Amino acid sequence: MNITREIKFESPTFARRIKGMLGVDFYRLFHTPLFYIFLAIAAIIPAMVSAMTMMPDQNGNQISLYSNVWQIIAASKSLYVIETIADYANMNMVFIFGGIMVSIFIGHDYKSGYVKQLFTTHAKKQDYMISKSLVCAFAMACMCITYLIGGTVGGLLVGYDTDVSVGSLIIAILGKIIMSLGWASLFTFLNIIFRRYFGISVASSFFFGTGILIIGAAAIVESLTLPTSFLNIFLYGASVNANLSSGIGSLLICIVVSIAWAVIYNVAGTRILNKCDVY
Amino acid sequence: MNAIEIKNLSKSFRGMYAVDRLNMTVPQGAIYGFIGENGSGKSTTEKLICGHLVPDGGEIKLFGRDFTDPGVRVRVGALIENAGCFPGSSVYQNLMMQCINLGIENADKEIRRVLEIVRMEDNASLKFKSCSLGMKQRIGIAMALLGDPALLILDEPINGLDTDGMRIMREILVDITKKYGCTVLISSHILGELEKIATHYGIIRQGKMIMELSAEEMDSRAQVFTSLKCADMQGAKAVLSGQYADVREEEGYLRVYDVDDTAAIVDYLMKNGHVVSEISRNKIGLEEYYIELMSKKEAE
Repeated sequence: MNITREIKFESPTFARRIKGMLGVDFYRLFHTPLFYIFLAIAAIIPAMVSAMTMMPDQNGNQISLYSNVWQIIAASKSLYVIETIADYANMNMVFIFGGIMVSIFIGHDYKSGYVKQLFTTHAKKQDYMISKSLVCAFAMACMCITYLIGGTVGGLLVGYDTDVSVGSLIIAILGKIIMSLGWASLFTFLNIIFRRYFGISVASSFFFGTGILIIGAAAIVESLTLPTSFLNIFLYGASVNANLSSGIGSLLICIVVSIAWAVIYNVAGTRILNKCDVY
Repeated sequence: MNAIEIKNLSKSFRGMYAVDRLNMTVPQGAIYGFIGENGSGKSTTEKLICGHLVPDGGEIKLFGRDFTDPGVRVRVGALIENAGCFPGSSVYQNLMMQCINLGIENADKEIRRVLEIVRMEDNASLKFKSCSLGMKQRIGIAMALLGDPALLILDEPINGLDTDGMRIMREILVDITKKYGCTVLISSHILGELEKIATHYGIIRQGKMIMELSAEEMDSRAQVFTSLKCADMQGAKAVLSGQYADVREEEGYLRVYDVDDTAAIVDYLMKNGHVVSEISRNKIGLEEYYIELMSKKEAE
């Protein structure tokens, strides 16, 4: 019963391969509740933080952590070592939410077994890394925007001051959005390393997303009275560097650092996928 | 051209070889029944072909090309362990994702086509998680069929299916090879079902291919036997054993192997005072052939 047919094999170009992989990842992103839940979280959290910081303390005195609406979006200056929660609670928190979202997004690939379909038809493992990094970067950029909306509305409702250098504010927002690419690549990489352990994937993304390593390193560097500006070569450092007193240089740092780390993590992730079993 | 050609393929896990210098040839257009005990290396071989596992050594060629060639891999459909669908998404959405992944232009038409092949055209809107096991297996086949695959790799697709489910699956597989000339590599424990559709067999044991043969070769190698019943089975067995080389009592019947002349057996028994109450001529099936082969290998 051997029925043979003429079969033509055309090697798909990189553009065609990546288009297919991106297409399916975007389709998944828009057709599952996960993305919308995280958009909502990114909007609600800053609004809640700004409202809660205006609550009276035990003695009835009103504590105001922020003096300005835009401090909910970005810190006033580069603060690698945090002193109050207000120094920390800004758009950088999106990278924590984003880390968890990326872990769940990639975890579903493995849990459902869909990753088998992807790797059967995509012989080049780099397709997976690139696509996941780009789609998750897009999702995190969207979360930055909902954070901006939530934070601004919350801050205005509470009645914070709105004075700001518009240029610096735009640079800070753009800088953090651009940093999404580097962060998404890091989270994708972490999820590739811990692909068999969903819990560890989520925990590691959360851990790195908090920037605690850089905060710790900055504390040591500051105690030694050394300059902290070299910390800008790291994702968290560059993200902090995009603040309300930033100039165009900060934006350039964000672009370079984000792209450089995205390339590094994509190359490393692809190498791991090529050398190790998929699951 | 061979659809799959494997030479000296090896894969180990923590120092234990799951696939050990395996050689395998699957002709184009064949339904290749891949048989072996649990843990013999069937699934590992299939995962290696699909690129899910990284081989320790050896060579895999698909349609004469290296298996890492994106041009050939895009024409492979697989159902390994499960359908690989998102449980919260509908059947249609899951198929749509695979269409987008493969860059299929008229996705809706293609989805309708594969759903029709697997007889699930009315279930497109069902959530995957609410489908029965049989339906999930068929959806897995539908996923694998998207984009006109040249090679289908199916790992135990009939496991857990009821009789009707198995029949439907059998018909689907025969259909797709006949209509689309697709090569199918199928592993299964249900050898009776496999025997009905396979054109070629590969028998694997402890990670090594111990035999590859076509259905015709299998047929010619399969022993013929006469199965009969008498009132005094022990007496009849003793009588027949004196005349014929291979007489066994199995499943309540006396079996006389490799004798073409059934009438001569009956005559001989009659002459020795035994009346035959029931008689039939049979050929051993794939399952018995496989069990016998495994017993021989075990003894070696």
